[in-house]
Amino acid sequence: MTEVDYDVSDDMIAVVEDTNLPRRLKDDVYEELEGRPDATVEDADELAKAVETRYVDTRVDPLDPVGTVSAQSIGEPGTQLTMNTFHYAGVAEIDVTQGLPRLIELVDARKTPDTPMMTVHLEDEYATERERAHEVVWNIEATKILALGDVSTNVADMRVQISLNRDTLEERMITPEEVAEIIEDELGVSTVQQGTEIQFGPEEPSYRDLLQLVEELRDITFKGIEDISRVVIRREEMDDGSEEFVLYTEGSAFGDVLEIEGVDASRTTCNNIHEIRRNLGIEAAREAIIEETNNTLAEQGLDDVNVRHLMLVADIMTNRGEIESIGRHGISGSKESVLARAAFEVTVNHLLNAAIHGEIDDLDGVTENVIVGKPIKLGTGDVDLRMGSIGSGSSGGGSGSQAD
Amino acid sequence: MVDVSQHELVPEHTVLEEDELEEVLSEYDIDRTDLPKIKRNDPALPDEAEVGNVVKIVRDSRTTDQAVVYRLVVE
Repeated sequence: MTEVDYDVSDDMIAVVEDTNLPRRLKDDVYEELEGRPDATVEDADELAKAVETRYVDTRVDPLDPVGTVSAQSIGEPGTQLTMNTFHYAGVAEIDVTQGLPRLIELVDARKTPDTPMMTVHLEDEYATERERAHEVVWNIEATKILALGDVSTNVADMRVQISLNRDTLEERMITPEEVAEIIEDELGVSTVQQGTEIQFGPEEPSYRDLLQLVEELRDITFKGIEDISRVVIRREEMDDGSEEFVLYTEGSAFGDVLEIEGVDASRTTCNNIHEIRRNLGIEAAREAIIEETNNTLAEQGLDDVNVRHLMLVADIMTNRGEIESIGRHGISGSKESVLARAAFEVTVNHLLNAAIHGEIDDLDGVTENVIVGKPIKLGTGDVDLRMGSIGSGSSGGGSGSQAD
Repeated sequence: MVDVSQHELVPEHTVLEEDELEEVLSEYDIDRTDLPKIKRNDPALPDEAEVGNVVKIVRDSRTTDQAVVYRLVVE
């Protein structure tokens, strides 16, 4: 017997479990029954049967063109999405691409999103103490020389002079010695470091080399991850009522961040589906596609698009174990049929190549059959009707059409 | 190294035994190459999975309690 968390009799459980309903709906039925203490087993049976009938009714019929229905169901509300790239200061003042551009970016499976970002969750005391949370921030956010102190050039002596700010160094947990060492490694010069003052210059006195050195100095990442230009820290209430610090980053380096101490590697996410695929696998990428498309629609008030359509899109995009875009370079471009591919985009190229290679079209799909004017193999088009002239009892007759 | 199976986006992956696989394939009346694929280098794949194996994935589904899907391991 299945364990049920509801206060209903064993007989009721028996009749409900006997139906062909998914777990969630069974639980809904139990909840309803629980709320009616005077319900009998017969009532329970009737209720369960009624729900089952409705459930079976609403299931997709065999040969239903689910892809076409999904395309329409996402496309129609899609006309109401913001067309321009409006950036908005949403969570923690970080700009994120919204609306149609974001949706296109997702289904096109762009290698990097327009505005990459990560949501970094922290664990244990890092999540509850602001100072510990800041430690993680300094390990993530790229620290450039200008954040650490002032840089000036002494043209007379051909020297670059850096005067570091002691407070900032302490806060970001980096010593002047380390700074000097990183400069030596990166620029290949020898430095003179005294307290918070660092000096260096080109080997041969040359004004151009001096300026070149300053340019390169500005690009060095002294601490943190190169790709992450900004981190915003926010105190957020969790589902269970507790509060913890969450970091939002501009720029993303998902794999690197997961390894940093204090980062909760089980909840941290990013908005780049390719990074998710690389670090967490194809199943996580599928989940991320659904989540991202769903959120993009929901943010624009279009959350009444059924999630099943988005799940179908994600399923197709991840079907081959890697993320494929919807469109000419992805799913549509890899179709078997020449005519179907030619009907989509760049018609002449497809037909020419097909002619050169002597391709054969088996006319199995929808598009190619529409082109040649044959019935498509979907819905009633793929059902052969056999009229029962010989009475064969209950199974025959006019009403029963059978898929052949 | 981070244990990716702990991540909330990653569902449970287990390698399917041959006899269980036969059952699945006959239930759906398909070949194993008709299944969705998963790359051999996928980080969520169990270590013992090899090319040609089929992994069983149990997802927390949005539309039902749990959804079971299968993926064929490919190169």
